[in-house]
Amino acid sequence: MNSAPVDRRVLLSLIAAGAMAVAPHSFELPPWIIAVFALGGVWRYGIEFLRWYRPGGLVRFGLMLLLLVAVFRQFHTLLGRDPGMALLITLMGLKFLELKTARDFFVGLFVFYLIILGSFLYGQSLWLGGWALFATAASTAALVHLTQPTGLDMWRRLRLSGAMLAKAVPLMLIVYLLFPRISGTLWGLPADAHSGLTGMPDSMQPGSIRHLSESSEIAFRVSFDGTPPPLRELYWRGLVLTDFDGRGWQRNATQAAKQEVSFFPLNESVSYQVTLEASNKPWMPALDLPATRPKGARYHPDFTLEHRAPISERLNYSVTSYTRYRTGALDATEHAGALSLPRNLGPRVRALAAQWQQESSGPLQVAQAALDYFRRENFVYTLSPPLLGDDPVDEFLFDTRRGFCEHYASAFVALMRAAGIPSRVVVGYLGGELNTAGNYMIVRQSDAHAWAEIWLAERGWVRVDPTGAIAPERIELGIDAVRRLELQGVALGSLSSEAVQRALALGWFEFIARHTRWYWDYTNLAWYRWVVDYGKERQERFLTSLGLDDISWSRLTGLLFVGALLVMLVYAFLLLRPKKSVDPALALYLRFCRQLARAGMVRAPHEGAIDFAHRCAHRRPDLKNRMDAITEHYVRVRYGQPTGADELRAFKREVATFRV
Amino acid sequence: MSVAEVVLGRRQLFMLPTRFGLLFALLLMVQLLVAINYGNGLAYALTFLLGSLAVVSMLYTHRNLFRLRLSASACAPVFAGEVAIFKIHITNDSDTPRFGVAVMHAKKEIGRVDIAARSSADVSLNVSAVKRGWLMLPEVTVTTRFPLGLLYSWSRRIALDHFCLVYPRPADPTPRQPREEESLESTTGIKAGGDDYIGAREFQPGDSPRHVDWKAVARGEPWRVKQFGAGYQATVWLDWDTLEVLDAESRLSVLTRWVLDAEHDGMLYGLRLPEQTLNPSNGEPHQHECLKRLALFGLKP
Repeated sequence: MNSAPVDRRVLLSLIAAGAMAVAPHSFELPPWIIAVFALGGVWRYGIEFLRWYRPGGLVRFGLMLLLLVAVFRQFHTLLGRDPGMALLITLMGLKFLELKTARDFFVGLFVFYLIILGSFLYGQSLWLGGWALFATAASTAALVHLTQPTGLDMWRRLRLSGAMLAKAVPLMLIVYLLFPRISGTLWGLPADAHSGLTGMPDSMQPGSIRHLSESSEIAFRVSFDGTPPPLRELYWRGLVLTDFDGRGWQRNATQAAKQEVSFFPLNESVSYQVTLEASNKPWMPALDLPATRPKGARYHPDFTLEHRAPISERLNYSVTSYTRYRTGALDATEHAGALSLPRNLGPRVRALAAQWQQESSGPLQVAQAALDYFRRENFVYTLSPPLLGDDPVDEFLFDTRRGFCEHYASAFVALMRAAGIPSRVVVGYLGGELNTAGNYMIVRQSDAHAWAEIWLAERGWVRVDPTGAIAPERIELGIDAVRRLELQGVALGSLSSEAVQRALALGWFEFIARHTRWYWDYTNLAWYRWVVDYGKERQERFLTSLGLDDISWSRLTGLLFVGALLVMLVYAFLLLRPKKSVDPALALYLRFCRQLARAGMVRAPHEGAIDFAHRCAHRRPDLKNRMDAITEHYVRVRYGQPTGADELRAFKREVATFRV
Repeated sequence: MSVAEVVLGRRQLFMLPTRFGLLFALLLMVQLLVAINYGNGLAYALTFLLGSLAVVSMLYTHRNLFRLRLSASACAPVFAGEVAIFKIHITNDSDTPRFGVAVMHAKKEIGRVDIAARSSADVSLNVSAVKRGWLMLPEVTVTTRFPLGLLYSWSRRIALDHFCLVYPRPADPTPRQPREEESLESTTGIKAGGDDYIGAREFQPGDSPRHVDWKAVARGEPWRVKQFGAGYQATVWLDWDTLEVLDAESRLSVLTRWVLDAEHDGMLYGLRLPEQTLNPSNGEPHQHECLKRLALFGLKP
């Protein structure tokens, strides 16, 4: 059997399975690689069914060399993920031309399984996982076709393969959950394992946060241990900007890493896990202020967390934070940095700050005066502010007066510094959307926010959010509500809370859409947690939650085998037990009898079908014809010459339509 | 141990991976290494899914042979030197169809059948009949690779209690020495090969299709063969003792030839063997009885 030529119809199954296995790679690899594979399949089809030219061994060898050269020219190496997959796919395309024996086919199908696995190296989305399941079913169906060319049509092969895979899933889950995971890799990952992404910028230029806020992409998700704090306290600290050049704000790159956390918590701690999306930036947002340093993070003196490398794939970390706090003293450089202003800052700004400084008795009053100024002087919070020129702070404060959080924060800090109060800009995220489906919070890029911190001698750094003075809805209700209010043309800061509630009430369609979105997001998060991120740490957490504390290799393996054995025993019982099968004709006849019994005509155990029909005809002459027809049909199907499936189907129809 | 019927139970069935099963295991190892190295959850999942698939396929492969019932049906007698055709009957009493059930004899596949639920299939096993006497149905095994070809399940060797009668090899035409008491009177009787319809008998493999009673077949009745004949005359005795010059086997061969000729010529013929005598008669059953005596002559019962 191994060397016998294979039925060419099997070839079609193989080509179809191959197409499904290779399809996801078309998003990742250069198109010509996919084209080579497709051409190989088409050419072989042509050879088999259309009598096309069949290349000889020498031609195939030449083509192989050509492919090797082409792959090398594309990637400049033959090692690594991309060239490896490219070689596997193109050479398999070439292999189509010479598949002959059962062994060739088996090897081909095994290569398809490998190609399916290869697609996971480019991404592990839910979609890809689903597709891979189909592709695996197709390859398995082709395996069935190869082993059993007769007797099963395509649908039955697919059904068989599907049924077997379905039975394999519980076993797979046991092994998947319990197979001991290691942290780290066996050997170095190829350099091309990750690719580029976008995230929160390192600096704040006018418009940069607004630009970010247009994206509804998810920045991170948070699960709180316990009830989440109210929305207005959810200030996610991203990075702190101290250097101001008149237009934009930069981080102070010179600050040294501090090992010790130096602030005094004033309320209960909040613990939570953050699942941060890949951003290619090192910032690790944490609730203002984080008290713990997650693994792999640096804790800066400005209370921000920075990952040791740009975050190129989803990152999970746990943090404990305190939302009320008092921080310590500033050293001289910090103090100076928090007061520095560019020389070209507009004179109107300096004059305004000086005026407040004279009128007030302390820094807090100056800050209050600034907030009052925003509130009083017809400032507008808007998601679509006008563009600003060379001196944006001056222009914003005295001319346009329409701005977004970054304008307010920037102007506020500039005013504070002009008034001699150490201050700085903090960017991060504010609020989030509570996903009730999974009881976690979704924070999107659109929740990006900028606020200010001023330093008071007796309290340390104090958060001041000037946006709150203009648009308290932004803080209380979140950016999504602001967006919706703005869409309805409602001026922010002007409405009573009932009016706002009314304006924000969801229609049924929005309600369904929102909940669907939540469930979908939850599915994605669960997928991430159980598939993409299921490594050593999560496995330990999972096993602990099962009450297994001693997680040694031997214990896991033992559990794994016991679990698998149990499942197999159940399957063996289900698959191999002798079925008590009832003749289908008899089953239908008994159904007919049940109908009659409901009408009071019960067949005695000794009574034959024909006698019974006679007796019933006496009681219900109106049904005589139908009953006689069914009885006669039954006798013919059950006791007569063997009949086909059609006859039985007709009988079934007859019984199904019979009504007493 | 030989029996008339064998049901394949758990104790009769074995299983091992095929070469491709081993290759598949290698594939899984490679996949697992990739999964571990990349710490890739989906890669782990696929690897374990395929591994589980192979494990689940064990049950399917086992079930494909499990509780199959093997029996053999009557084998038409043959002459030594011919090929005896045994029919092995595989019955599937379950509701699950069986696929790719191969019957093996002496490491060669002699037939491969798919058996629908609650039905049966036949596999013929051709055995060269070398010696006269009873030819025993050789041992066979039943194997399968269904559904994935990764596993190979086979049965213990099955010896069904079934025999085929092998008549002696007919000798080349040999003139018969007539004996004195042979009568040449014309007797009423039937001679095969004439034009008159003389009845019907059951169909046997090798019968001419022209003589099959097709009308009866169309009516759903069993296959029968119409026989034609004519009146005949002679009575002959076929006698062991007239062949003194030859050894025993040759004598049996010659007698076999004579029986065939006599039957063909429509004569009434009797058979005389040491310590056995068959009175003259004629027709299929008589011929069979004569040939059977010759086939089993001198053999231990």
